[in-house]
Amino acid sequence: MDVLTNRTLFVFLLTAIGLIALPHSSHLPGPLVIFFFVMLIWRFMGIWYPRWLPGKILLYGLTFTGLALLYQQHLGWFGRDPGTSLFMTALSLKLMEIKQQRDIYLIAYLAFIVAASQFLYEQSMFMAVYIVFVCSVLLAAMIMINGRQANIKASLKKAMAILMQVLPLTLIIFVFFPRVEAPRWLLFEDPNRAMTGLKDSMEPGSISDLGLSDELAFRVKFTGNIPPVASLYWRGPVFSYTDGKRWMQGRHQGTGMKPSVPEFNGDAYRYTLLMEPQDMPWVYALDMPAGFPGELFQNSDYQMLTRKEPDKRNEYQLTSLLQYNTGLLQEDERVRNTQLPGAVSPKIRHLITALQSGTQLTEQLVGNIMRHFREEGFSYTLRPPLMETNPIETFLFETRTGFCSHYAAAFVYLMRAAKVPARVVTGYQGGTLNEVGGFLEIRQADAHAWAEVWIKDRGWVRYDPTAAVAPERIDQTSYFQQQFGDELAQLVPRRNLQGSFEWLKTTRELWRSLDYSWQRWVINYHSANQLTFLASLGIAGLNKMIYWLIAGIAVFTALLSGYLLRQRQKPKDKALQLYARFCKKMTARGLVIRAGEGPQDFAGRINLVFPELAGPVDRITGLFIRYRYGKAPTKEDLSLLKEAISELRIKKGYSAKAKSRFNF
Amino acid sequence: MHTLINQLLSRADHIILGKSLQVRLAVCCLFCKGHLLIEDIPGVGKTTLAHTLAILMGMNYQRIQFTSDLLPSDIIGASIFDVDNHTFKFHPGPIFNQMVLADEINRSTPKSQSALLEAMEEQQVTVEGKTYPLPTPFFVIATQNPSHQLGTFPLPESQLDRFLMRIELGYPDHQAERELLKGSSRRSLIEKLTAHMSAEQLFVIQQKVIDVHVSDALLDYLQGIIAYTRISSDYAAGLSPRAGIALLHAAKAWAYMANRDAVLPEDVQAVLPSVAGHRLKPGSHDSQAIVAPILENVPVF
Repeated sequence: MDVLTNRTLFVFLLTAIGLIALPHSSHLPGPLVIFFFVMLIWRFMGIWYPRWLPGKILLYGLTFTGLALLYQQHLGWFGRDPGTSLFMTALSLKLMEIKQQRDIYLIAYLAFIVAASQFLYEQSMFMAVYIVFVCSVLLAAMIMINGRQANIKASLKKAMAILMQVLPLTLIIFVFFPRVEAPRWLLFEDPNRAMTGLKDSMEPGSISDLGLSDELAFRVKFTGNIPPVASLYWRGPVFSYTDGKRWMQGRHQGTGMKPSVPEFNGDAYRYTLLMEPQDMPWVYALDMPAGFPGELFQNSDYQMLTRKEPDKRNEYQLTSLLQYNTGLLQEDERVRNTQLPGAVSPKIRHLITALQSGTQLTEQLVGNIMRHFREEGFSYTLRPPLMETNPIETFLFETRTGFCSHYAAAFVYLMRAAKVPARVVTGYQGGTLNEVGGFLEIRQADAHAWAEVWIKDRGWVRYDPTAAVAPERIDQTSYFQQQFGDELAQLVPRRNLQGSFEWLKTTRELWRSLDYSWQRWVINYHSANQLTFLASLGIAGLNKMIYWLIAGIAVFTALLSGYLLRQRQKPKDKALQLYARFCKKMTARGLVIRAGEGPQDFAGRINLVFPELAGPVDRITGLFIRYRYGKAPTKEDLSLLKEAISELRIKKGYSAKAKSRFNF
Repeated sequence: MHTLINQLLSRADHIILGKSLQVRLAVCCLFCKGHLLIEDIPGVGKTTLAHTLAILMGMNYQRIQFTSDLLPSDIIGASIFDVDNHTFKFHPGPIFNQMVLADEINRSTPKSQSALLEAMEEQQVTVEGKTYPLPTPFFVIATQNPSHQLGTFPLPESQLDRFLMRIELGYPDHQAERELLKGSSRRSLIEKLTAHMSAEQLFVIQQKVIDVHVSDALLDYLQGIIAYTRISSDYAAGLSPRAGIALLHAAKAWAYMANRDAVLPEDVQAVLPSVAGHRLKPGSHDSQAIVAPILENVPVF
């Protein structure tokens, strides 16, 4: 097979390259992707019409075009995206210039790099499986080149076998290869790359964008019971300052003040929280966290923050209790949490006076406001009308429609107007239980805002005004699909539909469970986790890690090569093993059976040298032939053969005789 | 039955001197219903061997001398107008015999060659839309001159494949040559020759050959040989499945002739040169040398 003119090979190689580059088309600039695939298709046509391939001058032109396009799209050369694009462009240009076998190797290596660069963008299990698949296709192409055979199926099979053989090696390297944290300046972070998540301020309406996203925020695995869904409030940033439109964290944050330790009651829930990458160092603990690891700390609003880098997946072990009392309120806290932007308008003043009339306790006022929301025609929607000026008043008296942010903001405003300390808390509510993996998935669609009111003797108490309007939002596991299924986005639970897709749900949960394990055990296995994990196995320190790595690779390689070598030599059946013993006895006397020699020929040769042995040798040969090639082999033949072979004795002197007569 | 076979062989050996292996192979080929190709330079006894076998096997036979102007109808026959009945009547050609000796097959044109070879493959002849079956048993023993001689049309690979075996006779050794020169002419010996077995006996032998046992271990070896010819760079093309079956049949017949009820690797090795030689390297005439790497490299166990 001539490698450079073999069409099957080229079609196979180019298809493999196309498959490898395909996922990049979703995150690299369109023009560059188009450039790549135009070149690939051009090269494809070149298989049948070699005259169409570009000449030297055109190739220079194409190279210049590619580089210009690259610079124009990325405005630079360094960083993740330009680097990946550079490899893609180089690969596509190299395709146009296959003159020797060496060029094909180069293309294959470039394609492997492009395949690996996928992991800079996506590290999901699906992508890993896909990359392994396309790499095996590429490997098969290389087998075709080296084996000089154009049989695709055989090459693919061989590639699979090779992959299976390196799998244990991969595991050893994965576990033991020291993870070195690269200095941050080496990572060429793209500042343009934004990650989703809650924001550090709230304007009613801002959470609506989040609500539309099915993206995963974090996952929680409880050890033991899972609290009821209605009490699953995952605490995020707390907003106590408002300018009437925006709600922000108070200026006191960042001063390092510690909150007073709450008094806890009831059952403790222990859980593991696996945060997805995000911009902010916020960790969404279940309200109210009681125990947390050292890398976490609480700000004075009881929000949990991390000292780790939030743009990586991190895992935390936490304990929370649902019943708590935060105790007394400091004077500065009271001032901050009753802050209002200017004077309260007469309309609102009138409303609050009406709601306040006849109430002694704060709880009664809260109940009145909730009733007001429930009975005065308020409704829940994710697409409220714009409220640009005076949003609180517009919401309370005109539109009367909105989602959690609107209700939380209006509620807190009313409480503050009644001189009761209150604040807005944002975070996530609920979660979807993955029944297969037994963990909760909290998605961006679960983002929520609620209120906290300070009540004497009870401390900060959570109230969720949204629950007064749309209790389904809280009580049941919120499904992105349920909420946004129809155009109007009214809250219509689609229970019937859900039932008929039960199997689909199970499949999805199984997949998510797998994905959780993948994130937890594979992606999250970075430097710190590796050290902890290996230390738990008694392998502490970099030196030991490297020893284990080298020893693991050496032992595995030795085992594998030993196995592969043995496999070729080991005789398969019993008769052969016995006959091999017979041959060994003959070898000791200088008569070696040849590879292509049948038993009868060998016996004839022995009889020439040792006529005295003719009897036993013929008997052994006859038994062996009868057992191995005969019509009805019996177990008896085998035992007779065994006997005959062990009885065979050759006197020492025969060896020299054999050598003197024949030159073996 | 085996004494019958041994007598047949020894009678043949009296006519064809010093070529007992070739005679055995030729008989073996007929026992497994294969067609035989004898290839050598003129005058080494190709035709004599073919004649001897035909007579000893007790089959009616006909010899066709292939020449460059031989036409297909000279082989298979033609329809001739019958004046009395005003119809065309088919006059069967020499091919309608149990044994056909196609002498110097490569001296005729490919057109005539293929007429014979098609009949060999299909065991029937179609003339003017009518199909006539050929008698059973039906054997073709073809002789051919080495293709480098003048006035020959070498058989293509696809047609060589239809012959189960190709054997070469070679010059007789010193002793045989002396006997040949001293003894009476082969022609007169053949004329005196009588049939040694009947068509029925041949049929029984052919049945018994089919019943010879083949173990999995033997098939492993056989497949090893086939695989080797396909992978090895010594050969342009490996053995085809048809060649594999031919090899197995020949080995069975060989085992039967050695009075065994199971095939041994040695049987395969014995028939391998004549079964595989012309399929692996059609241009070469030394079959033993062609298969030597196979015998050397394919492990028996």
